[in-house]
Amino acid sequence: VKVHVDMEKCQGHGRCYDLAPDVFGADDEGYAELLVTGDVPAELEQQARAAEANCPERAITLT
Amino acid sequence: MSTTETDGGGSYGGSPFDQMDAETARHPQPSYKLMRDLMPVTRMEGLGVLLAKRADIDEAFRRPELFSSAMDAVALQNVRPLIPLQIDPPDHKKYRKILDPLFAPKQVKPLEEPVTRLVNDLIDGFGDATEIDFSQQFSVPFPSQVFLTLLGLPLDDLPEFLKMKDGIIRPDHVVGKPRDDEETVAYQRGIAQSIYDYFDRVLDEREVERRDDLLSRFLDTEVDGERLTRHEILDVCFLFLIAGLDTVSASLDCFFGYLAEHPEQRRQLVDDPSIIPAVVEELLRWETPVIGVARVATADTEVGGCPIHKGDHVMAILGSANTDEAEFDDADVVRFDREANRHLAFGGGVHRCLGSHLARLELRVALREWHARLPEYAVKPGVELDYTPGIRSLDTFPMVLG
Repeated sequence: VKVHVDMEKCQGHGRCYDLAPDVFGADDEGYAELLVTGDVPAELEQQARAAEANCPERAITLT
Repeated sequence: MSTTETDGGGSYGGSPFDQMDAETARHPQPSYKLMRDLMPVTRMEGLGVLLAKRADIDEAFRRPELFSSAMDAVALQNVRPLIPLQIDPPDHKKYRKILDPLFAPKQVKPLEEPVTRLVNDLIDGFGDATEIDFSQQFSVPFPSQVFLTLLGLPLDDLPEFLKMKDGIIRPDHVVGKPRDDEETVAYQRGIAQSIYDYFDRVLDEREVERRDDLLSRFLDTEVDGERLTRHEILDVCFLFLIAGLDTVSASLDCFFGYLAEHPEQRRQLVDDPSIIPAVVEELLRWETPVIGVARVATADTEVGGCPIHKGDHVMAILGSANTDEAEFDDADVVRFDREANRHLAFGGGVHRCLGSHLARLELRVALREWHARLPEYAVKPGVELDYTPGIRSLDTFPMVLG
């Protein structure tokens, strides 16, 4: 799967990098930064799904 | 409703929840459900339009140009808008660009050690007591001490601080007269001035000599080559005082009230402290310490078939959004193993609580340190906890330990 973050929607709640620290990081202002490019490695898929399911702004989509 | 939102303060003025009865304030969730089922968008005379559904609240948060946060400044006797809460985009962005980095996880993380110490010092202060007042001895002083530490102010200023905080947020309690009574308003106005004066004095000191604290950083921060003016810094400090203290106290009151009354769930976290972050999120969802946040419509519009007029106050009932069965499976069950939890306890959209990362740190550390030392406690038998409406805090929380 691939992860997409809509930076127009991201408001820096920080749930993604808390729950999926190997998939997301925080920039200096606390907004999401994607750490993986292309497909998410299988072992990180669960993290990515947790981030998607806990983003209050629905800014994260998995395809 | 009172609200503390999001960037911070919200409108702490009169609110529909001022009339909330004690049982509803204690367990508001069934009332939220009634609102969602019977009147998900409802106009209440003199109060504005209440939004109870998650989907409608999402919509309002995503359209700050239509649902403005620039509330009239008078409710708290602040003489200028609070920054950044009462500033709309595009100016809002400029302030968040300055403030977000100061409250980003990277900056907050180093506070874990002093915060841990503050929690333990407060618990040490209980001595051998088998009965304490959780509110007076823990949930009230703790966030204020964190705040003083963060701003580089002496802990000795705590009493002065609590006086300013209570005087501005609940002057009616302090004076013993209604909120709109002349005497109450005069008192609140005096307190507001003392807040400006207090921070003005400290900022004068920091102008002369910088320290490693937030106030010093405010003086030197630049955005687009511009520094914050003294007024702007004061308007940020004013907001911090009303937004950063009461909300964490209320969260602790709600959390410990819940855990005191649900010993089996308490034991889950005592046995496995690794679930504490999930416990914090689930109790933020279920309890929603800040019941709602206020907006004002900038044009005629409509939500869920209900007309909203330009100038109408619109109240997003966060507690209802957080228990909306359209969003959450088992919405009325408290589950620490919830896989999807998109709660809005810190608000949403551009005004998302600036202090949310700090608040989460304080709540997690408090739960962790407390339960490692005091796993057994209960509400004192015979006592019913009386939550204040709006911000669900407790004036008194008699607790038996052991």
